[in-house]
Amino acid sequence: MSAGLLAGRLTVVVGAGGVGKTTLAAALALGSAGAGGRTLVMTFDPSLRLKDTLGVGEAAKDEPSPVAIEGPGSLDAALLDAGHTFDRLIRTYAPDAASARRIFANRFYRDLAGNLAGILEYMAMERLFEMRAGGRYEHIILDTPPTRQAMDFLQAPERMMSMVNNKAIKFAMDPFWDGKGGLNLGFRLAAMGAMELSDRLVGRRFLLDVVEFIRAFAPLFEGFHDRAGEVRNLLRADETRFLLVAGPGPDRVPDAMFFLRKLKETGHHLGPILVNQIHPDPGPKPRLDPGLALLRFMADRDRRGLALLRSLFPEEQEIIPVALEPVPPGDLRTLGQLFDRVSKTKSI
Amino acid sequence: MTSGSPLEPGPGSILDRLAERQLLVVTGKGGVGKTTLTSVLGRLLAERGRQVLLLEVDPRESLHQALGTEPSGGARVQAGPRLWIQNLKPEVVIEGLVGEKVPIAFLARRIVDSDAFHQFVAGAPGLKETALLGYAFRVLESGSRPKVDLVLVDAPATGHGAAMLAAPGLLAQAAKGGQLGEMASELAAFLADATRCGVVLAALAEEMPVQETLELLELLRSRLGIRADLVVANGLYPKLAPGTAAGAGAELLRARRRLNEAELARLAAAWDGPLVELPLLALERGPALVEALAEAFKGAEP
Repeated sequence: MSAGLLAGRLTVVVGAGGVGKTTLAAALALGSAGAGGRTLVMTFDPSLRLKDTLGVGEAAKDEPSPVAIEGPGSLDAALLDAGHTFDRLIRTYAPDAASARRIFANRFYRDLAGNLAGILEYMAMERLFEMRAGGRYEHIILDTPPTRQAMDFLQAPERMMSMVNNKAIKFAMDPFWDGKGGLNLGFRLAAMGAMELSDRLVGRRFLLDVVEFIRAFAPLFEGFHDRAGEVRNLLRADETRFLLVAGPGPDRVPDAMFFLRKLKETGHHLGPILVNQIHPDPGPKPRLDPGLALLRFMADRDRRGLALLRSLFPEEQEIIPVALEPVPPGDLRTLGQLFDRVSKTKSI
Repeated sequence: MTSGSPLEPGPGSILDRLAERQLLVVTGKGGVGKTTLTSVLGRLLAERGRQVLLLEVDPRESLHQALGTEPSGGARVQAGPRLWIQNLKPEVVIEGLVGEKVPIAFLARRIVDSDAFHQFVAGAPGLKETALLGYAFRVLESGSRPKVDLVLVDAPATGHGAAMLAAPGLLAQAAKGGQLGEMASELAAFLADATRCGVVLAALAEEMPVQETLELLELLRSRLGIRADLVVANGLYPKLAPGTAAGAGAELLRARRRLNEAELARLAAAWDGPLVELPLLALERGPALVEALAEAFKGAEP
């Protein structure tokens, strides 16, 4: 088997959208459980694909639910949902029920916080941390939301930390607001140099909602900040491997390179690269059917993509091609077969 | 936002109907060929005499590769008769907007340079999406040179595509009272006007992309009252000619084709609107592929 495939205690599966991350994450999880590990697979996806494949329901949003597998290990699956995790986090970290209610009632939170840039990625990390800290699992595999910009994903903890540190919060936390803050907003904004922004563009009510939101959130900030730091350290730890899933063909190579460069730059540990959905060559035929000619074209294209990727990396980097199969895996048995296939394929 | 009354399927082709729109948002899951489809539709609609601008919001440009032009780098680049492409960075659009709303240069500068502004742009949810759609709206409303009468937006992947369309409405509510709120509200009304704006979904005829397409159709309908104008299934494997020899390759193609057909049937059972099927072709990404797919589209119209 490829040395890197199940290395580390945490595997973060990354890649662009539509390359088969979720399926491969599930297959790896089955492989890890099959090798005897207590394994958890966490998927974060609005369409909840893994739910279909692993047969886990809505309940898996709160607690990992067991997947019925045979063999020495065990497999649980959890679903990640940004809004759900965020709500939970607030309930957990709010000092009292009143503070939690105050956040939930805030209009800004209700309408918009779920769409906040980077929050999906950060929540996946938070949950990963929580599960790791719980100590129930020997191997955790995290499927990630499709993020074109790897930076969004890797920098989520940093961004959360700086959000918590930034001036806007100091501004909102000023005891000034405890008095007649709302009435004197103009004065404060002027002092901050944001008068024009508010008057001409945003409107004061919006700003006041944001201020109120931040103040309601304030009791949680310290906890958030510390956790974001710990999440960051966990992601950079030696036990954590980033496994990149790439699409086939030279067109997808820039995507893969971008992910890899960012991972390296930010000090994360790379696992193997899986190049998925490689078309097999139909073999030489004197007169090809147009369909087989198309397959030949795709196979050539995919081979060029692999060669290009190989040429860009040092030899020790594992690059594992995963062939396109007639029928995609749809149940535990075929997922298990996919893992067997991948684990037997040599790095090119 | 608006009543979800479906458009009457009037006479004429789907292209005739798309050509009546002013804004078309092309969306779908990642890796299903949105950018190529945007290029194909752009070509076809420009061919019908519309002045078409294709907007791309991904910082890594790819529209120019599909159409064989120079990268946009933020500028409008001509990609054919009556056809232009442009790559937009939300931050730049927002700064431009400030300049427009605050005509006094030094005041605008002061806003754009302030920390408060940067934090606001980075943090305010929905602002970037609103700015991008707002840009399209303003190009159409206030006129531009060259004249544009139809904008196609190559939207981010599924979840984000719906979030993009929902953003102006949410922002209009949240920022009521300010100019930003007014602009967002005007934009939301425009997006809700089914005679002017439409959504095109790109998909692959595979299990998960079809599932997500059905979910997105439902999300658009229930949350935004939008009925998509068109669903396009990309990259269909070919039917093998009868009598093709057996072998692993032929078996793979047959199985993939069967999978495509089963998923198309599932899609058609849940979606009663127009559905166009486009083939997988032995061509590299580029103008020749766009050209061939444009021909295939004309032949495949329902």
